[in-house]
Amino acid sequence: MAIHTILCIEDDRFIGEMYVRSLKKAGYEVDWVVDGNDGLITARNKPYDVILLDVMLPERRGTEILDALRGGSEDLIPDTKVIILTNFEQDDASRSAMQKHADAYLIKAEITPRKLIEVIEQLGAA
Amino acid sequence: MAVTTVPKLIRDFWPSFHGKALFIIFMSQIIIAGALVAALVLSATFALDSLVLWGIIGGVFVVGSVASMTLLNYASRPSKDLLAAIIHVAGEPTTTTPPSPNDKRYANNGFKQALQTIYELAGKEVATPLQTDTTPDTKASAIQSALDVTSCGFVVLGHNRNILYANKTAPVHITPDNTQALSLVFNGNDTLEAWLDECEQHSVHAEHTWTRVADRLPEDEGRRLFDVIASYEKGAANETVLTLIDRTATYSVSEDELDFIAFAAHELRGPITVIRGYLEVLEDELSGVLQADQHELFRRLTVSANRLSGYINNILNTSRYDRRHLKVHLSEDSLSGIYETIRDDMDLRATAQNRLLSVNIPAELPTIAADRASISEVLGNLIDNAIKYSNEGGAINVTAEAKGDFVEVSIEDHGIGMPGNVVSNLFQKFYRSHRSRETVAGTGIGLYISKAIIESHGGTISVRSEEGRGSTFTAALPIYATVADKLNSGDNTNEGLIEHGNGWIKNHSMYRG
Repeated sequence: MAIHTILCIEDDRFIGEMYVRSLKKAGYEVDWVVDGNDGLITARNKPYDVILLDVMLPERRGTEILDALRGGSEDLIPDTKVIILTNFEQDDASRSAMQKHADAYLIKAEITPRKLIEVIEQLGAA
Repeated sequence: MAVTTVPKLIRDFWPSFHGKALFIIFMSQIIIAGALVAALVLSATFALDSLVLWGIIGGVFVVGSVASMTLLNYASRPSKDLLAAIIHVAGEPTTTTPPSPNDKRYANNGFKQALQTIYELAGKEVATPLQTDTTPDTKASAIQSALDVTSCGFVVLGHNRNILYANKTAPVHITPDNTQALSLVFNGNDTLEAWLDECEQHSVHAEHTWTRVADRLPEDEGRRLFDVIASYEKGAANETVLTLIDRTATYSVSEDELDFIAFAAHELRGPITVIRGYLEVLEDELSGVLQADQHELFRRLTVSANRLSGYINNILNTSRYDRRHLKVHLSEDSLSGIYETIRDDMDLRATAQNRLLSVNIPAELPTIAADRASISEVLGNLIDNAIKYSNEGGAINVTAEAKGDFVEVSIEDHGIGMPGNVVSNLFQKFYRSHRSRETVAGTGIGLYISKAIIESHGGTISVRSEEGRGSTFTAALPIYATVADKLNSGDNTNEGLIEHGNGWIKNHSMYRG
């Protein structure tokens, strides 16, 4: 599946702008929201090929958003790939719980925009 | 006249005594042979130049010497064993194994009691008879009920390491074959079993303390943390006595520090993400106008930011390891694949500091059971060290090969190397050699956490070094096929087996045969 549209849910302005700038340059269509509530609403209202999801978000944590989208009996975003992007060291249980519902789990400090684009391309090729 | 001041050691007695005894045997055989010659010649049985005469004399001499030496060995054996026991009790340095009273031979010939007495006498303080009017029975039951109300655990192990006694507080569980077993999760290879193995080989008495030993894994309810003191007494009926002090209240406070460190890491990683990301974006967008030396400045910035991110992982993992929270999530992976994830970063670090990094990890090596992020952290640490402790233009070679059940990866540098006394302390936390403290920046936790990670994989890490010539660090990781069955059977979910759920491994040693 070719990836065109990306939703970035990220509250840190520096990091958000950095990803948006690089992804747009790479040719993707990117929407960016900064809090958890908006993130969940946007993700439910518009189909995206990829969602970049932060964990420590205001209003609503990334864990809750993922749970709302995929934790129930029905997957609300079956055609979307979810990439968790966090710098927070989650405990093992919460981390495994998130990984179960996500397509990738990345530590932000360990990747650069170029690496992120590689991961997105890999998901698109899969 | 000069006086010899060399102190006399007990262990020196036997060689000199034995030598003298052999000399006496030899001399007496010569005298016997001489007397025999005289008797046979004087009685005119043989002429002095008769070959038969000298044949007989030679035979008598050889048979007499061998028989005397055999007798000497047999007759002096108990004294020799007693002496060996005394040497060990006295604590003199020796390479011999102390004779065990449980040896079958000693049990058969009754010598066992003698050995036991020596060991017991040595273990006793000056015995003062207790003046009590209670009978032994009521005393024993009073002690037993007292032990059951203390908050300390007491466990007594017999010679076969079976539990002879455990009070109520002691962390023990019943195994499926209905025997009691200790529930203690030791960290790394510093286990009670390993220490007892060591004691059996080399000690008569020994004592050892472990701190912060948990009775179960971190997620389990009612987890307790103990300081464990073990006393070993070779040959005693209660060979090993464990005293366990429940320190849960103290240590669980520092469990909260883990949260603090996790939050601190989050705060530190934010700016690092921004620095690394924008450096890349900027260098890309400016690539047309930057001069070559300005590119070099960007590379240095990137290398430094990458290093910082590596240090944060080291700190986080060290904090987890020290609190018994470090877990590795093992799955089938290839060493070359793991290295690919850090190749760019390593190449950049090497070029930025003028080192020649050559990496030869054959793709066709057997797959290993590995936690990708942890092993790349270890490789990063080892290569980083090789860079730090070598000279401008120095070559660093990374190679890998399969050896037995393991894949070994070696990182070799031709730098300053280390003397032997540094090597033996190298894997300790915060250890930095006197010289490196002055000349090279670092925290001293890189090798400590690398060893912890490799051992959590069921592997080993070692180093060879020569001062002035360089060092080679070698990490051995188990080949996936040798541990696959154990990994899979440790998981009770069917989903993805190792990838999800209970594939987390605490102490990998239990997954190796």
